[in-house]
Amino acid sequence: MDFFVDSLYSALLLVASLDPEMVAIVTVSLKVSGTSTLLASLMGVPFGFLVAFESFPGKRMLITCLNTLLALPTVAIGLFVYAFISRRGIFGPLDLLYTQKAIVIGQTLLILPIVATFTIAAISKIDERYRKTAMTLGANRWQTALVVFREARFGIVAAIIAAFGRVIAEVGISMMLGGNARGFTRTITTAMALEYDKGQFTLAVALGIILIGLSFGINLLFHFFQGRTRV
Amino acid sequence: MAYEISQLTKVYGNRTVLDIPLIKIEKGSIYALLGPNGAGKTTLLNILGFLEPPTTGNIIYQLHPVQFSEPYLQPLRKVIVMVEQHPILFTTTVYKNLEFGLKIRRIPKKERDLIIEESLDLVGMRHFIQAPAHRLSGGETQRVAIARALAVNPQVLLCDEPTSSVDAENQVAIINILRQINGIKKITIVFTTHDRFQVTSLAHHILFLDHGKLSTDNGDNLFTANKFSEHGLLGPTRSHS
Repeated sequence: MDFFVDSLYSALLLVASLDPEMVAIVTVSLKVSGTSTLLASLMGVPFGFLVAFESFPGKRMLITCLNTLLALPTVAIGLFVYAFISRRGIFGPLDLLYTQKAIVIGQTLLILPIVATFTIAAISKIDERYRKTAMTLGANRWQTALVVFREARFGIVAAIIAAFGRVIAEVGISMMLGGNARGFTRTITTAMALEYDKGQFTLAVALGIILIGLSFGINLLFHFFQGRTRV
Repeated sequence: MAYEISQLTKVYGNRTVLDIPLIKIEKGSIYALLGPNGAGKTTLLNILGFLEPPTTGNIIYQLHPVQFSEPYLQPLRKVIVMVEQHPILFTTTVYKNLEFGLKIRRIPKKERDLIIEESLDLVGMRHFIQAPAHRLSGGETQRVAIARALAVNPQVLLCDEPTSSVDAENQVAIINILRQINGIKKITIVFTTHDRFQVTSLAHHILFLDHGKLSTDNGDNLFTANKFSEHGLLGPTRSHS
């Protein structure tokens, strides 16, 4: 018990002192996860919106496939991307392996289905009367789509927040594609795994506190936006 | 003539919900569309509002044949507005709700503000101009929805049971609003209802739908209280109080 209390106390001191190594790790995590969330949102939101808004053959099958992709393990994505960006892969010459870009690619693939399916769910929940009202007021197809998008905005933001929550806490992709290089590709989760392996718990616990704090903040935001959808 | 529709049918699956050989709607008149639930009233309104295509039939609007293709329909929807039985307001302010149709028509901001105020005045909702629309009561929502439709100065206003979900006070207010806008702006109004009082007090013409088939009063308003009683489809006549 003393060991846990001592570690926790030291970790809190480390957090309070804004230890440079800890700050660097958190910065890398936020940068990489923020970028992948941004990319996944730029692709996933319009894609999800189109799938939900339009009618086309195979729509249900596509949604089923996207739902299946939600359960993809991070190590499977890590392995898949590795096959493409390793020296022997078709993107090998681009030297992406063990870079932040590699992590971003993997994380983007991980959360793309999350953003898309949650966007589909958010759009599908919007009352059909919004579309009809916009049309009867003279809106064209594009303007009608914007009305539906606007009504679903809180649900879509909630989808993006959920996706960020997923990548900030993942470890498989960051480890396999980033390589956990200090000050370069070391993220909160990979650093925690490493410190655990070394038996040095102070930094691991400090990072754990930050990660839990971030998760708590993300969940607060998520519930705020989810609540707004029910207004 | 606003509409002239011939050989109109609407089929869902293997069920024919509308089968109307001929229907004519005069410009500037008020039409009551009556019939039991499931008679096809809302479907007919949707077709009149060009919100859904008929299965077969020819529609002539203001002497021009209508083609049910999106680029052709959108300009028509700018002059024909439908207010639903349970209208929905965009989750923003009352002002923004009314501004939507005006922005689409590229009306300048100053003019928009004037039209919005005028339309809200007409329905007695001016003091709600900056109110969040989703916080309004059923009656207030119905009135704002009518104001939103009027703001775009339509040639035809289609109202699906405009008073079915509001209290007595709002019912009278809405009937007065419809009568007033028809009188002042000469807007053609087609409304569905089950209320005999509304029919006799508001409509110039009556269309009766039953199982998708149409009967009319031939424009002379003979198809009123007695006929309805014969059909047994309307409730007792209400007093005008």
